[in-house]
Amino acid sequence: MNFLKDPFDVIVCGAGHAGCEAALAAARMGVRTLVLSGNIDTIAQMSCNPAIGGVAKGQIVREIDALGGEMAVNTDVTGIQFRLLNASKGPAVQSPRAQCDKRAYALRMKHVLELQENLQVFQATVTGLIFKDGKVVGCRTNIDVDFHAKTVVITTGTFLRGLMHIGKNKNEGGRMGDYSAKTLSGSFLEAGIELERLKTGTPPRLLGRTIDFNNLEEQKGDFDPTLFAFHDTRDERDLFHVEQKGETLAGWKPGTDQVSCWITYTSEQTANVVNENLHLSAMYGGEIEGTGPRYCPSIEDKFVRFADRSRHLLFLEPEGRHTDEYYINGLSTSLPFETQIEMIRSISGLEEAQLLRPAYAVEYDFAPPTQVFPHLESKKVENLFFAGQINGTSGYEEAACQGLVAGVNAALKVRGDEPLVLKRHDGYIGVLIDDLVTKGTQEPYRMFTSRAEHRLLFNHGSSENRMFDYAKKYRLLADSRISKIEKKRSDIEGCIKWMNSNRVGELTWANLVRRNQPDFEMPKELMGYSKEVRDEAMYQVKYDGYLKREWKQVEKLKNVENIKIPVGFDFLTVNGLKKECALKLNDFQPANLGQASRISGVNPADISILMIRFSS
Amino acid sequence: MNDQDTIVAVATPHGESAISMLRISGPKCLSLVDNVFKRKSPPRPRRSSHGDYISLSDELLDDVVYCYYQGPSSYTGEDSLEIMCHGNPLIASKVLHDLVGRGCRQADPGEFTQRAFLNGRIDLTQAEAVMELIQARSDKAIRVANNQLRGAFGKQLAVLKDQLLSNVAVIEAYIDFPEEDLPEEQKQAQINGIQKVMTFCSRLIDSSKYAALLRDGVKTLILGEPNAGKSSLLNCLLGFDRAIVSEEPGTTRDFLQERLILGDYSIQLLDTAGLREAEGTIERQGILKTIELAEEADVFLLVVDGSLPCPTLPEEILGKMNSENTIVIRNKEDLPKSEEGYSILSGFSSVSICAKDGNGLEGLRNTLFSLIDSNFSSADDELILINARHSLALNELKECLEQALAKFELDESAELIASDMRGAIDAIGRILGRIDNEDMLDVLFSSFCIGK
Ligand SMILES: Nc1nc2c(ncn2[C@@H]2O[C@H](COP(=O)(O)OP(=O)(O)OP(=O)(O)O)[C@@H](O)[C@H]2O)c(=O)[nH]1
Ligand SMILES: [Mg+2]
Repeated sequence: MNFLKDPFDVIVCGAGHAGCEAALAAARMGVRTLVLSGNIDTIAQMSCNPAIGGVAKGQIVREIDALGGEMAVNTDVTGIQFRLLNASKGPAVQSPRAQCDKRAYALRMKHVLELQENLQVFQATVTGLIFKDGKVVGCRTNIDVDFHAKTVVITTGTFLRGLMHIGKNKNEGGRMGDYSAKTLSGSFLEAGIELERLKTGTPPRLLGRTIDFNNLEEQKGDFDPTLFAFHDTRDERDLFHVEQKGETLAGWKPGTDQVSCWITYTSEQTANVVNENLHLSAMYGGEIEGTGPRYCPSIEDKFVRFADRSRHLLFLEPEGRHTDEYYINGLSTSLPFETQIEMIRSISGLEEAQLLRPAYAVEYDFAPPTQVFPHLESKKVENLFFAGQINGTSGYEEAACQGLVAGVNAALKVRGDEPLVLKRHDGYIGVLIDDLVTKGTQEPYRMFTSRAEHRLLFNHGSSENRMFDYAKKYRLLADSRISKIEKKRSDIEGCIKWMNSNRVGELTWANLVRRNQPDFEMPKELMGYSKEVRDEAMYQVKYDGYLKREWKQVEKLKNVENIKIPVGFDFLTVNGLKKECALKLNDFQPANLGQASRISGVNPADISILMIRFSS
Repeated sequence: MNDQDTIVAVATPHGESAISMLRISGPKCLSLVDNVFKRKSPPRPRRSSHGDYISLSDELLDDVVYCYYQGPSSYTGEDSLEIMCHGNPLIASKVLHDLVGRGCRQADPGEFTQRAFLNGRIDLTQAEAVMELIQARSDKAIRVANNQLRGAFGKQLAVLKDQLLSNVAVIEAYIDFPEEDLPEEQKQAQINGIQKVMTFCSRLIDSSKYAALLRDGVKTLILGEPNAGKSSLLNCLLGFDRAIVSEEPGTTRDFLQERLILGDYSIQLLDTAGLREAEGTIERQGILKTIELAEEADVFLLVVDGSLPCPTLPEEILGKMNSENTIVIRNKEDLPKSEEGYSILSGFSSVSICAKDGNGLEGLRNTLFSLIDSNFSSADDELILINARHSLALNELKECLEQALAKFELDESAELIASDMRGAIDAIGRILGRIDNEDMLDVLFSSFCIGK
């Protein structure tokens, strides 16, 4: 293939949220990258709700931005409503969330991919992998063309043997209207990679002009929006809108009209319809095995498990500025189509609503993520990386951050460099990957702030600071941005120093801040700093005691985190380690002692023994 | 290595030796020697010294032998300290508690060896051999602990854990799912829940006989008529003259308190004012005090002058005595014996002694030991036994909850409260085994309908 200049350094299979970040990250690191998608019109498609961010997820998106990823800018540019969640709680758990214009989001991302140096976008469905000597060396496609590369990143989402259910009706595919990757699973099995099934669902979509909004509660965006990307350190020019090429305008600017979401509720009638038809539901009628995600139950689940609740909350989310399609957040179901219509009719404001797309449940293969290393490379097949839903996660943000890490690591592997591994105390991305690779998952894994033991360190504004060392070490950001961040960091330090050393009467400003006075006014000496700098300094000053406590705990764990275990190490050779424990560790192949200590059934005495073995 | 912290552990196996050794390693050792033993000059390394172990609360815990090792010439390669105390596990535990109170951390299994290895003091094979031993022992310890956790103690803790998890689940639900249709946040319900755990936890700490023993020893009341020989008995048991003895009845006006080690038990001996119809008000006060002490006593040693007719005792005290907690001591066996009225004491075990010359003392010691032993060592399920590690964890649990409550009062934000609550869950996990966030999520998703 001449025009494609085969072989490549990195091939990314799939161009969803994980695939896009993987491809961009690898290409931006300067290695030759190919991204394959079965349908390039669906690049960065939002298969489920038209929103990015939310609690913990919002932080992930900002961390992605801090590591040079695209999701944050893409959201800022194509967002049509922005809200800061948990605004009434402390800064650590405040998170930005945005409704996006679904088409604009996908289209802009596609354009960014197209314009990216070192990156080739090509439409072909990957049908299998090519292995050589236990390593992956390329992939086969539906057009009978093989592609070769030093590394391959799998980001196939829900497409592996995807099967959709609407009542008894079944369609093959990873998303309504799309195909199913049927043969690729065989390649994994052939390589000894285990696969399991997961399921998830999506609600119906409605036609806006048939919804009666008069009696519904309106939910508006924030007057002063919280954006995802760090625009204060980014180069202004990389904020472009695909529809206005060459213009350096944000897609959304304060003062422009934001679109609203609407709130309605299920009725008693809805409960009756669901309960009477439960046996027809794919999930309750036995068409699908296994349990769905607990945090995103189908409406059947809600009525069965919470029978005492008289009604359930539903959000109507607009899918874009140039479409009248609405997403019904909260009404995911696998009931038959006729029942779905009946159900919709029973909901206030939706009595006359027309469906544009039915709700459905989807089952798909995933590769239990305990089979990958913390840098997302397969333990079984060298040079093969996994990211996104194939690792058992749910959500665009969770997928994107893994894509970014996998893309960076594929490029590092090509260059023969040490992999990038984020730690649990670095941020949500570190927590997410560590959870996946050490604990695996029983349901599509979604991030919650409660999963992070150090969440007080993870306020969204500090993402750039937290990721900085990695960004700098691996050169994930433009040099100009690196120096701007360095300046910002020293400004923050300066700001904190000032507050600690200047007094108002008896107290230092820092003391005053910690006193929690509602009418606290920022001293004018600090007004010269940017708002971002002041906010971050205020956070660090105000929560100083807590942050110190967190860091103390982090330091305590660092010893074990820093002790690496060689790949392929045989734990049975360690004297004094119980056989049962050794076998478990052999199976698991933890990358360092910290990871080993989090595996269930490994106790502190075992870790002491290992510490002795590995720190020699 | 984590060179900031100083670790401590009881190095001798529980209840198997005549002395208990505590081993301490880390930078605090030298200052510990200064603070605990109030030395005037610095200790000479590797030289054993004698000293009184004075606790943080200024209590004399034991007279001990200690030895300071200066790093790097020590087992671990760090500054180290060994404290040898009497072979009573209760003393060792008290010293351990005190050292933790002074900022030491209880060592993980094998941590001394680990430090020794990491500091290059021992080689891999030596280290591994030691680790094997430790592994075997910790397996046994785990088995013992597991047995205990299957009993009443474990069940009570599981209740605490469930209550805590459901509290945390509520807080976490409001943090992680602000968009959901959750019921109104109910601060008061949270506070009530936490207070419930706290009371429960305090009760567990208090009601645990082990903890009480650890704190006070077995409360043993010496009582009887004036001049019966109570103070003489106290002196006799202690082996030195603690109390004034005289033929003047009513010599002891207030009570005296001393500690005695008997086998595995620490005993708090209380010598009291003689019981009789009082003339003077001071004496009457002494008697009232004795009645008050009787309220909390574990064991009664009723001393009678065997040459006199059996005395009549106040009802308040007689009512508390039974065959399981009382020993009648017929003193002055050197004098002619009287039988008058003694039939009313026939239900109690009785020992004849002569406190003046110590005759019969060995028999008394044995009787006392078996009485205490049968009362406190029974492995029956009702009895809550917690060890030092457990009580440390429970105290930490309480502390975290107190902090959480304080934050509720101040209306601090949810994630800060959650951070204390998480500390509480970690503390309980140190006894029951680590509690994963998944456990919390299970509770959360089964109590709230999450999912837009
Ligand atoms: N013969 C004889 N005298 C004894 C014996 N034990 C104590 N005594 C004498 O009895 C007198 C009272 O002894 P204490 O020990 O002071 O009696 P107590 O019960 O403490 O008396 P109060 O404190 O006054 O209530 C002293 O003179 C003792 O020497 C004994 O075993 N034999
Ligand atoms: Mg006396």
